[in-house]
Amino acid sequence: MFHAFFRSIFWVLPLFLVLPPVNSSSCAMGNRTTEIRVKYENILSPDINELVNMSAEYRDRCCKNKKHENAKVFFCNDTQEIESLQSMACNMLKFFNKQKISKDFRWKAAIVSCGTLQVLQCKCERNRKEKVCTEVNTHNKEDTETGEHSKKKCNQEFCELKENISSLRSCWNKFAKIISR
Amino acid sequence: MTCTWGSRETLTTNFSLYYWYENRSPVVECKHYLQDQGVSVGCRFNQSEIVQFQPFRVRVNASLDGKTLEIPSERMELQDLVKPEAPVNLTIHNLSSNQLQLTWSSPYPKAQCLEHAVKYKSNKDTTWTEHKVKGEIFSFPSVDYEKYYTFYVRSKINSYCGSTQLWSEWSVPVVWGNNATSEGTAEEQLHWFWIHTVLIPITSCLLLLVLVILLVRMERVWVIFMPRIPNPSKNFDELFITHKGNFQEWTGVPKDVVESFKPNYNESVCYVSELPPKESYEPFWGSTDQLLAVPGASAGTREHGPHKNSYVGA
Repeated sequence: MFHAFFRSIFWVLPLFLVLPPVNSSSCAMGNRTTEIRVKYENILSPDINELVNMSAEYRDRCCKNKKHENAKVFFCNDTQEIESLQSMACNMLKFFNKQKISKDFRWKAAIVSCGTLQVLQCKCERNRKEKVCTEVNTHNKEDTETGEHSKKKCNQEFCELKENISSLRSCWNKFAKIISR
Repeated sequence: MTCTWGSRETLTTNFSLYYWYENRSPVVECKHYLQDQGVSVGCRFNQSEIVQFQPFRVRVNASLDGKTLEIPSERMELQDLVKPEAPVNLTIHNLSSNQLQLTWSSPYPKAQCLEHAVKYKSNKDTTWTEHKVKGEIFSFPSVDYEKYYTFYVRSKINSYCGSTQLWSEWSVPVVWGNNATSEGTAEEQLHWFWIHTVLIPITSCLLLLVLVILLVRMERVWVIFMPRIPNPSKNFDELFITHKGNFQEWTGVPKDVVESFKPNYNESVCYVSELPPKESYEPFWGSTDQLLAVPGASAGTREHGPHKNSYVGA
């Protein structure tokens, strides 16, 4: 009787059925398709192209045939483009403090990540976005490295960042094609 | 989509192609090879086999003497390799105040990922003018009704949907201009072409030829342009041939006149010298045969005057 009392009061089992764990998006998409498209075309797209060009200038011979543990981050899932972009942008923010990567490069990558999250109005876990994007938006990058010194040696983190950038650009291309209908 | 790796002339062995999408699909062999006289030169992909916005990789295997050589490709994004079809249905609309509007349509149902380029030229221009256009309308602000315009359009995937430099082929052209003007202009141009290229050169050559013939045949005309250099030798033929250089005989001078010029006497030489303008008389030195004594002159040697002896003879 005691067990029956608690079950009837708390409805644990029905609650499990009604409230399944759902990965809800932390992005406020709403009905903002046009706004997102305009911001992407006029503001974000030039920055993404510039980042891709910077990425192409760096040596990446050590990156061939490398398989990354976090490979699923680089997926742009069908019908889940916004979530994929959020995941890629949040993942890219973690490279902001990697000293093995050129400062110019990781600063530009952070700008693109923050821009993506801002346009889509998304958040990242552990307040990573707030920590990095506040610094990017408020502080000017100090030019402490010359052009030659900034092209540091190829390493695993650099390879992962390059792939992250490529996936982010492709996912934005895919999303732009969808929202341009 | 087609992927090619050579031609019948360049390939010495057989190739096989394998492809996959990174982290998405297993490695699959090409299902539709392109053949050229029994040799595989490429692979054709159906629409169902194409996935854009996913990293695409290819590996071509070459079989040679029992050994297999693998040739991997770089990672590719297929949306960056799209070459669209050319636009169609180019149409020109006349707007007010000398303005034209060119419109076209894309063969694709959804063309928002395309950007376009328009090139045009009039019959008076030597080079094409090109403009990039985002939509499917191009406005030509000021048109000259005396000219004849030709328009072309082509398309490309824009930078928002991909990163490619692959433009489509140029479309079928559309023209605008006054039909009569254009035809008349063409006839006039043909007319002037025949005049400038054929008639004038031939006429000039014929005229030149006539002049040359006249010059050669009519000496009176030739002498005006090329006067003869006087040659007096004929006048002296009689002197040198008949009279053998005897000028007097040729001129007809009488013999007695000729004789009169010959001298018939001899004169002795008379040496003359200048006397110094002094009171003392000095011996006058004449020839060695004669010595004139002058009063007041002393015997002995005398200095010669400052003047040289002068010789006077006849």
